[in-house]
Amino acid sequence: MPIQNPNPNKKKKKHSNQDDDEDDTVQGKQQTQFEFCKVCRLNHNQGRRHIYFPNHKKALSSFLYRFQSKFKNDVAFYLKKPMPLRPEHAALNRLWCVFCDFDILEYDSSFACGNAIAHLASAEHLKGLKSFLWKYGGGMDRMDSFRISESDFTKWEKKCKLLKSEAAGGGSHGSLIGPLNDIHNESKSEYVNSFDKNKLDCLTSDVKCSNSVVPLQDHTIERSQISHSKICTVGPQILHAGTGVGLGARTPNGLPGFFGNQHYTHSVPKEGPAYSCPNDGKVYPYEGIAIGDGHSQGTSSEESRLQSLQNLTQISSSAQENGGGNVHSGAPPPWFSAAEKIQLDNKLNQGLGDLVSSLGEQMKTSKLNPKRVGAAWAERRKIELELEKRGELVRHDFGADWLPNFGRVWQSGSRKDSRKEFLGENKTWRKVDSQIEKPSQLQPYISKRMRTENTAE
Amino acid sequence: MNYLLTTLTKKQEVDSMIRDTIDKVLVLCFGRASDSIFLQLDEILYKSVREVSKFATVALVDIDSDDVQVYIKYFDITLIPSTVFFFNAHHMKMDCGSADHTKWVGTFLRKQDFVDVVEAIYRGAMKGKLIVTCPLPPDRIPKFQLLYKDV
Repeated sequence: MPIQNPNPNKKKKKHSNQDDDEDDTVQGKQQTQFEFCKVCRLNHNQGRRHIYFPNHKKALSSFLYRFQSKFKNDVAFYLKKPMPLRPEHAALNRLWCVFCDFDILEYDSSFACGNAIAHLASAEHLKGLKSFLWKYGGGMDRMDSFRISESDFTKWEKKCKLLKSEAAGGGSHGSLIGPLNDIHNESKSEYVNSFDKNKLDCLTSDVKCSNSVVPLQDHTIERSQISHSKICTVGPQILHAGTGVGLGARTPNGLPGFFGNQHYTHSVPKEGPAYSCPNDGKVYPYEGIAIGDGHSQGTSSEESRLQSLQNLTQISSSAQENGGGNVHSGAPPPWFSAAEKIQLDNKLNQGLGDLVSSLGEQMKTSKLNPKRVGAAWAERRKIELELEKRGELVRHDFGADWLPNFGRVWQSGSRKDSRKEFLGENKTWRKVDSQIEKPSQLQPYISKRMRTENTAE
Repeated sequence: MNYLLTTLTKKQEVDSMIRDTIDKVLVLCFGRASDSIFLQLDEILYKSVREVSKFATVALVDIDSDDVQVYIKYFDITLIPSTVFFFNAHHMKMDCGSADHTKWVGTFLRKQDFVDVVEAIYRGAMKGKLIVTCPLPPDRIPKFQLLYKDV
């Protein structure tokens, strides 16, 4: 109820405001209008105080954690390795941007999470993100983990363009062999450049690549390579070369593995040694290091490449024998077509993302308030149901006389009393009832006393 | 005609409903299918049952069946439709400004009213309160006169 405004001069100014705002200034208490906190999913009238409450902070951390895991698992993955998006997978790749409150669909993008990446790099998203963090108090330092910087975005775009050009250049297999044929191409320099920047990203991100089963190898190899940064630039080219030679020298057995691998780790040329994919068993990382060390200022000189090619050939021939051990490293078998692999990847990523987010939520709600009404009863009942499910405890029918805990209307005293009272009344009622039945046959007249007792129930 | 939600006719069904709804509000509406207000209530409930499904379950009880007469007496149901709220087999009271806090008498004017009431019950129950205040303004609460033993 609004308090009468003591100062008539203020009336005009306040006239346009609603009642709640009057309360705010007149009473001096924080009784602002009700607003909806998206994070806690709660309507509150606490105004700006709300974001500092511990409940809100908890809700916010789990909220951001959920979005972040989705972002990392799906979007960041595709930021590193852009893959062409098939229309049938478009439906799986939607992302809800919680900051801008809008659903990003992928129906018209040619690359997985293309629209999402474009949105997350855009200025509107940054604006939305800032206003969200201001409104819900997230801490402005965390902004970068929810958006994509311009440099990352341009890198991604370049990769996409390359992919497109390769796809356009070759045929169906061409898309796979494309990067290999381009060994001597000038466009290779782009790979070199992008790799340079990318390896840092690899280090800093903890992207859950479903194809790198052993992340530890990633880091150790990259760290060793960071010190030989220039040498590393040769790395991808060599690997390229390696795969190229591999193909040439390979029997058909090796091919599917390569192909599968190529498509699967689409940016092998770009990230080279970062792909310590033990699942393909191709011992790429070791190759990278061995050759890397062998070369000093690695430039794309053909002689050095040929040398390394020869080296590679030998190594990879031994690797080929080990390559059959894919099953242990968890890679899909070679007859599993590349397309299905991508599908599997997508699903895995999403599944993982879902799992992570659901775990986050579970952690949040697993502990219900122990002080809630009927908590003890609920716990006992849950255990009972669990046992019944397992079939250990045969469902015993509670008596026909069981009555729930109920506080009656015209009753003072505890609820247990109400039940007793009722049962007591019931007995007398039943007695009366049985008595009534006999006389009713003889005498339709029921005494007033009996009648009042009945109606009182 | 069958717009009605799950209607319970036996005491045992009611019992199992009460006992099996764990950590959710149980809304039990007592009434007669031929009563127009009860049907209106059912309509509103039907529309909102999905929205509150995460924290509430709704069921109707037919007062004309013999088996549930004991409940009708136990809950002091004299005016229909009457709605009783339970949480974890404990009865939840709500103070709507009327004389009877143990149940909600009458129908809801809007879907949102029903959702608000159930939400208030849920919030109170989660905090450990057995009685909550009604979030609706008095003009939206159906009025009724409570008679005490025919007085």
